[in-house]
Amino acid sequence: MENILEVKNLSKKYKDFELKNVGFKLPKGMIMGFIGENGAGKTTTIKSILNIIGNYKGEIKIFNFDNKKDENMIKEDIGVVLDDIFFPEILLPRDINTIMKDIYKNWDSDLYFKYLTDFNLPKNKQIKTFSKGMRKKLEIATALAHHPKLLILDEPTSGLDPIARNEVIDIFQDFIQNDECSILLSSHITTDLEHIADYITFINNGEIILSKTRDELIEKYGIAKCTESEFKKVDPKDFVKYKKTKYEYELLVENKKDFNKKYNIDTIDKITLEDLMVLMVKGEK
Amino acid sequence: MLGLIKKDFLMIKGNLKVWLILLFIYIFMAFQGEMNLTFLLPFMCVVTMLSTFSYDSFNKWDAYAITLPDGRKNSVKAKYISTLLLVFVTIVIISILTIAIGYNRSKTINFRDIGETIFGAVFATTLLQSIMYPVIYKYGVDKARIVIFTGAFGLAIIGSLLSKYVKVEYLIQKLTFLNDYMAIILPIIIVIMIYVSYKISSIIYKKKEY
Repeated sequence: MENILEVKNLSKKYKDFELKNVGFKLPKGMIMGFIGENGAGKTTTIKSILNIIGNYKGEIKIFNFDNKKDENMIKEDIGVVLDDIFFPEILLPRDINTIMKDIYKNWDSDLYFKYLTDFNLPKNKQIKTFSKGMRKKLEIATALAHHPKLLILDEPTSGLDPIARNEVIDIFQDFIQNDECSILLSSHITTDLEHIADYITFINNGEIILSKTRDELIEKYGIAKCTESEFKKVDPKDFVKYKKTKYEYELLVENKKDFNKKYNIDTIDKITLEDLMVLMVKGEK
Repeated sequence: MLGLIKKDFLMIKGNLKVWLILLFIYIFMAFQGEMNLTFLLPFMCVVTMLSTFSYDSFNKWDAYAITLPDGRKNSVKAKYISTLLLVFVTIVIISILTIAIGYNRSKTINFRDIGETIFGAVFATTLLQSIMYPVIYKYGVDKARIVIFTGAFGLAIIGSLLSKYVKVEYLIQKLTFLNDYMAIILPIIIVIMIYVSYKISSIIYKKKEY
């Protein structure tokens, strides 16, 4: 399968934080959910992909081109929504069309205004009068209106009410229907990702600790619940992390069936992305 | 790049009411002989452009601009061109007003005076722009204000100390011969100032992480 985005050995050092050999591949026609707690390195990774920050080591290929050498050509086909980064709020949505039609070769004014209408956004009001949700919708409309092939979205659904979130998720799903377009989507709202992401990549402390298909995660991973005596019999190699609750032990296991066969523990719950995040970050080994 | 220039002018348009009110106050005062437009209007230009920097900074526009095609390459260039275009518009306004005010007072038009007014205004504005923009790109618009204020204060102290040891009037007398060549020298200085300032700002912007 052809990859639309490839990140290899991405490393970047700050005084108090480091990205360590971050790597993942996003195939064409897929949505990748990029998860991790605050400060884990999601935004730094996204900013590196977009060359907003430089001086990093590693290789980033978008549409099979180098993201630095072929930056301008690549950016014609990328749409972005970044957390708290956008047009100055003194401007009007109508102004964004005036500006963008001279920036993107493929800017589609009709499509942009159609999104504004669909999202119930006024054309002639300053952005500063918008609610957080309206602003986010405007950012999404702007990201989509030049027919990009890759969407890079940092927290695109934060601040949206459930109805608006559903609308936006539908748009993202439509976006990848032609199998040529892909989305890298970082979000804290893991339930959204469970609905739409084909791949999940999990970053923690600047390192990728997991990058798998959603189906593999949902089908194979699980949370085994056992007593203290049962827990003591389990080989630490057979679980990823564990958490002690008031009444039982919760073990994150990579293969539900194998674990069940080996230890005969029947209570193995399906995993949610939220469980996965919490156990991966807060769990013990 | 045209889109980025349009962005700056659309932002100025957002503040147009305030700009026009100030303009009418200044024009009224100039007609009353209470105000010299030579420096005031160009300074207004720079202040107007500074407000665009503030809006950009508030919404982290520079990071967004870099995600656009040719964004990193053209952002600084667009800001300098926007400023120069605004200066040009202001100069046209000043020229018309200077002619009108002069004619209103003495019923004659002194083209030498108008020329000096325009050169003075352009020089003052571009000097200010050339110093301020690299500082803004380096430190951000909020810190830049402090840096520029501290710098100007430092220069004033150095100037006053030097004036004790250097005969300023003697120096000015010695340099008066340059007056005849100002029409050639000033444009060259202006172009060099802007070019050097633009290059420094571009280097800062290229290396900066947003």
